[in-house]
Amino acid sequence: MEPDPKLLDVLVCPITKTTLVYDRERQELVSKAAGLAYPIRSGIPIMRPDEARELSEEERTKR
Amino acid sequence: MSTESSSQHTASFGFRDVPANEKEKLVRGVFSSVARNYDLMNDLMSGGVHRLWKDAMVDWLNPQPSFKCLDVAGGTGDIAFRIAKSTKRKGRAADITVCDINPDMLAEGVKRAEVLGEKSIGWVAGDAQALPLPDNSFDTYTIAFGIRNVTRIDKALEEARRVLKPGGRFLCLEFSQVVVPGLDVLYDKFSFHILPKLGEVVAGDREAYQYLIESIRRFPPQAKFGRMIEEAGLSHVTIRNLSGGIAAMHSAWKI
Repeated sequence: MEPDPKLLDVLVCPITKTTLVYDRERQELVSKAAGLAYPIRSGIPIMRPDEARELSEEERTKR
Repeated sequence: MSTESSSQHTASFGFRDVPANEKEKLVRGVFSSVARNYDLMNDLMSGGVHRLWKDAMVDWLNPQPSFKCLDVAGGTGDIAFRIAKSTKRKGRAADITVCDINPDMLAEGVKRAEVLGEKSIGWVAGDAQALPLPDNSFDTYTIAFGIRNVTRIDKALEEARRVLKPGGRFLCLEFSQVVVPGLDVLYDKFSFHILPKLGEVVAGDREAYQYLIESIRRFPPQAKFGRMIEEAGLSHVTIRNLSGGIAAMHSAWKI
């Protein structure tokens, strides 16, 4: 299931309250500011730091 | 009373005090365990009256089609579907976002939305204490039977104020303190003796419902909760009791 595009537009990082980058392939919402990637499962963004993946050094600098 | 006010390290989980970070895990367990039977249990717990309370909440909210509405801790969509219905009658459905910490509860709401063909609601998993939503972005913030389960209620209220637009409306529905003499005795008997049994028989989970009851008793009464809302920077707090105070609504505005 695809996430609601309208919802993706409004969501921000719950920690830094900054905008996110949608990684469609990985189904993640990336917060460079927090260094976290929030997963999207069955179309539902899981905006919880305890469920997020920490970005690698490379991801942090590249994207 | 919760020991939370005197110490940051413990939070109330029913009548037990547990470390604050533990509470989140425990509450999550309760709701994951009851998600599928949640509506049925609510009907049993309140004799179906929770539906009337939720109707009363959305009546008082009086949402408009142009509104952006946020419903927090409303995973199964009880309030969101009512807002959609109410605004459709006025022209078109408002733009509604449901944010609940528990993906299992949201999955139930998404399923119901698919059955109803309801497309005006966005569903997101997030913490009421750290909302994944921008400042000044909603006309209404609602939370029904949710704030009681939050570890730090003050933080959740601050977040409510932050995401509301200036002029935005806060409306909370929560179990409260019975204000009718005599009713409190009956209510005690029902909730401590009958409800856990119902939870066991219907949901197969006595403990989860035991928690629900205990958490209701520990939640601050009407006036005190009203003061907490003011302390978070919201104004013009108005309180309406429902069913003799078994539940209460708190309304406030971001000025």
